[in-house]
Amino acid sequence: MLESPQSATVRPSASTPGRPDPALETLLAGVAESAYGVALCLADGEATAVEYLLRAVAGACRDGTGLAADTDVRLWFLGILTREHLVAERRGPEQADSGDLDDTPDLLLYARSAAVGWPTAGEHPAAELLECLGTERVVTALRRLPADYRVLCTLYFMADLSYEEIARVMEYPAGTVRGRLRRARKMLQKSLWRIAEAEGMTHAPGGAP
Amino acid sequence: MTTRRLDRPTCEETFRRLDDYLDRRLSPEETRLIEEHLHLCDACSREFVFEASVIEAVREKLRRVAAPPDLIARISAQIQGERADG
Repeated sequence: MLESPQSATVRPSASTPGRPDPALETLLAGVAESAYGVALCLADGEATAVEYLLRAVAGACRDGTGLAADTDVRLWFLGILTREHLVAERRGPEQADSGDLDDTPDLLLYARSAAVGWPTAGEHPAAELLECLGTERVVTALRRLPADYRVLCTLYFMADLSYEEIARVMEYPAGTVRGRLRRARKMLQKSLWRIAEAEGMTHAPGGAP
Repeated sequence: MTTRRLDRPTCEETFRRLDDYLDRRLSPEETRLIEEHLHLCDACSREFVFEASVIEAVREKLRRVAAPPDLIARISAQIQGERADG
């Protein structure tokens, strides 16, 4: 069983080249839970999420012997994980059907919520709708985004990464994240609303039909 | 991105900075001007609060994802396997 890590940085390795550094176990244990959350949003279910994660662990074992002492292990591992996902996505037969997600107008959830009587004012106006949708449907909404946007949104919402961190993980040029994330957020709103519609949740409790 | 310096932002200029404001990427001066506008403009204020609320609510839902109890053991086994193959 792995132990909790003492630090998120890598110490100089004394392991045989090509073999995993013993410290890697400890370091990966420290990022495993949050990496699983990311994998779950990218995969099509729990089994595939674990599969992605274990593939990323294998990748980390191959790459982890020469890490610099100041490597941010979480970002490094998320980079391996998201690349594993994108490679699998490109190989796989099925791509998420993004439909017209790219045409999502600004403030879609706000406008639709207002139209059918979900709260649009107050301290946390979207909380009630999202609470009704629940975690599983939010994850499903993320999974329905096109692959790159799914990764972007997952790193932003699930892993709470900054623009700079997302750029590092996804190997985007600096400055690219802002625009793509703006589009990704709009896509996510449409994806969430589609699920709400499909689940018959477009009539707010006590609201107008 | 080139944007003109904010003086007294209009609703449109304020909206254009919504994401940067929510992600705390504006300068203190820009933040102050946006907040001034939000204080005076009920429509913009409602939109900003709603969008912030969506971000927070999505994050809050995702924080509830729990990893399988045997995840660490499986990772450990994967690493041992890589070592054996190494």
